[in-house]
Amino acid sequence: MTLFVLRRAGLLVVSLLVASLLVFVLLRLLPGDVAATIGGIQASPEQLAAIRAGLGLDRSLAVQYGDWLTGVLRGDFGRSQLNGTSVSAELAAKLEVTAPLIAGAIAVAVAVAVPLGTWAAVRHRGWAGGGISALAQIGIAVPALWLALVLVLVFSVTLGWLPAQGFPVDGWAEPGAALESLVLPWIALGLTEGAVLLRFVRSAVLGVLHSDYLRTARAKGLTRTRALLRHGFRNAAVPVVSVLGLQLATLVVGTIVIERVFTLPGVGSMLVTDVGNRDLVKVQGEVFAVVAAVMLIGFAVDLVHRIVDPRLQEAR
Amino acid sequence: MRRLLPAALTAVALLLTACGTGGTPQAGTAVQAATPPDDQLDTAATVDVRLVLEPTSLNIFGTSGAALDQILLDNVYQGLVTIDTNANDKIVPALATSWETSPDGLTYTFHLVRGAKFHDGSPLTSADVVWSLQQQIAPDSKAVYSANFATIDTVTAPDPATVQVRLKQRDSFLLWNLTQRGGIVYKQGTDFATLDGAENGSGPFTVAQWNRGSSITLARDENYWGAKPKVAKVVFHYITEQNAANNAQLTGQTDIQTAVDPTLLSAFAGNSGFAVLKGTTTDKFTLAFNGTQAPFTDPAVRHAIRQAINKQDVIRAYGAGLAIGSAVPPQDPWYEDLTGIDAYNPDNARKLLADAGFPNGLSLTLTVPSIYPAAISDVLVSNLKQAGITLTVQPVEFQTWLTKVFQQHDFQLSLVDHAEPRDLANYTKPGYYFGYDDKQVQDWYAQARLAATDAERDALLKRVGRQISEDAATDWLLLGQASTVVRTGVYGVPQNETSNRFNLSTVAVAK
Repeated sequence: MTLFVLRRAGLLVVSLLVASLLVFVLLRLLPGDVAATIGGIQASPEQLAAIRAGLGLDRSLAVQYGDWLTGVLRGDFGRSQLNGTSVSAELAAKLEVTAPLIAGAIAVAVAVAVPLGTWAAVRHRGWAGGGISALAQIGIAVPALWLALVLVLVFSVTLGWLPAQGFPVDGWAEPGAALESLVLPWIALGLTEGAVLLRFVRSAVLGVLHSDYLRTARAKGLTRTRALLRHGFRNAAVPVVSVLGLQLATLVVGTIVIERVFTLPGVGSMLVTDVGNRDLVKVQGEVFAVVAAVMLIGFAVDLVHRIVDPRLQEAR
Repeated sequence: MRRLLPAALTAVALLLTACGTGGTPQAGTAVQAATPPDDQLDTAATVDVRLVLEPTSLNIFGTSGAALDQILLDNVYQGLVTIDTNANDKIVPALATSWETSPDGLTYTFHLVRGAKFHDGSPLTSADVVWSLQQQIAPDSKAVYSANFATIDTVTAPDPATVQVRLKQRDSFLLWNLTQRGGIVYKQGTDFATLDGAENGSGPFTVAQWNRGSSITLARDENYWGAKPKVAKVVFHYITEQNAANNAQLTGQTDIQTAVDPTLLSAFAGNSGFAVLKGTTTDKFTLAFNGTQAPFTDPAVRHAIRQAINKQDVIRAYGAGLAIGSAVPPQDPWYEDLTGIDAYNPDNARKLLADAGFPNGLSLTLTVPSIYPAAISDVLVSNLKQAGITLTVQPVEFQTWLTKVFQQHDFQLSLVDHAEPRDLANYTKPGYYFGYDDKQVQDWYAQARLAATDAERDALLKRVGRQISEDAATDWLLLGQASTVVRTGVYGVPQNETSNRFNLSTVAVAK
């Protein structure tokens, strides 16, 4: 186990370094720079050059990368070139919206996928199972964006129950209002993710249902439900946890769309805006933080696997 | 990630069409109800306003962009003079109650209002005015529009309530430029590097909070030296997406929705809960030719393209607007109707092209920022096809446009909204991306700046406006119209040129 953890940790460090270089280089392929954002369509070429020099954009890319990386190693993700805000501080502020958004969406997804997926597996020959599978198929096909727009049309514009967009100006200082503005995004994101998850839960449970150990358990007198609950779920959980880990990465992308639709001031909206402004020092810090988070989650998922399924430990 | 957003917006557009909320907007201008007396107003109210473009920083000294002017001019910062957008941009007093010009036109004397002070409580004196203008004219000035004040020689303060500006030469544009952000009076010694978080203006509002990516809150300065604003707080919500903005207004999350997409106004038509205000803009949707590059070096090609485009088709596609025929909007004193020059005539366009050596038509590429409605480009494609021109539309992100088109001049045709007021000077800079270089126009413009009277200046600028149209320097597809939706019970909402400045001093809410 220790060797496994060490090897994985080493791999993580190398991947993070490669990711930092990729993020830096890929962003530099974008046309335009932050000086153009500051100067706008009135600035003369001389003014633009002066702004560029002032921001250090005239230095070589290697120097700029080295500067940034040493900062990151010291835990300093840099500052906005446009307005000097600290990347870490703003990331923390935006996570106050995005973290609950993702957590709630996962909760909705799990709440939908686990019971329905299990039911669909148990009743896979009946109409209920077929119906649930068909619904899940539709759920996968429907984009979160479209679902979001329909939800707004029904629950905000027509019924007036929930806000159509936005987040309270004072954020979580108004907990009720903050929660209200997250309900529709949760459902929009959670249902689409839940549909994907449901299919994995169904096939995992189906696999377990036909396993020898479950047959043995039933032969010893357990009902199907009790056998499933006592022996089946733990085994079915292994692939489902992996999928959840992978989905977290797609959820990060999903939040970009959902935050735009609901104009939530989260990490996704911030990234879109900063890329648009070519505030690259800020963008690379933000993207790298997100990439690092996803990689760390992958690392954690691997460890959880080992704990949930001891067989994986013996294999090595 | 960069692919997702356009896809998202397209999907939104599709959904809108499917819901049938599109369609012809209602014509007509709603008139605002008169503001009731103060005892019927809720002076503790917060007003929620939808705006589109969020500023990138709050440093109005060194960062370009109308988004800053829109919220900070008149509200947080003030100049000696300002403009009245309800009276064709008439120049009116602000920190200066009055001013006079010497007979030779070289000395402007401003008399400051009494009792003006900054948000930190310190009095605003002529020393602050002098210092602020000196920051504009300093040789290494980092001010965005410092070039506007190149004619200023010296600025002095004979006494605490008087400022004298001496010019090197007459400058009939000076007063106008002082109404813009270059005229802002800062407290002497302001550190512009920290301006982003430490505004200290003299206006009726202070910046209370900025939730980056979502809203900016202005709060009434209770110690304001002038007439107190009628609302306690104003929250500007930055909502880019038009449909989300409509929903926010319909559900009461916002009280005032600016820059409503004219094709989506029907959501409010016939709804007694809202008034729809139509106002002027300075948004000139400009189709630029790369004038230094073939085939646009041939004026016949430029005229052919102008005559091939039916401006009414473009206006219909955009949902509202006005054909102007040059770069001058009607609220400028030197406006004249020039839509007769290069009027829609596809047959003649074809003939012009044939004479210019393109009897079989030609293929051109249009580089356009993706923020504008695709419907406009669609009209151009079909209109130009009638004249034998195959148009390829290349939508790009605005930043890409800035680099590729604006800086590198790497384009054939470009479409961009020149939103700045009174920007005829762009046609006098040969290095500007239009590549338009006409000595006569440059001379007239320079003479207009030196003009001794407004009438003389206006006559010269009128000539400039006509000449650039006769030369087909660029084409002007339409002048935008500002549509603002106001919740019933909200009064005194700015109606004209709201994307350049949004003066909150008259906004009020019923109890």
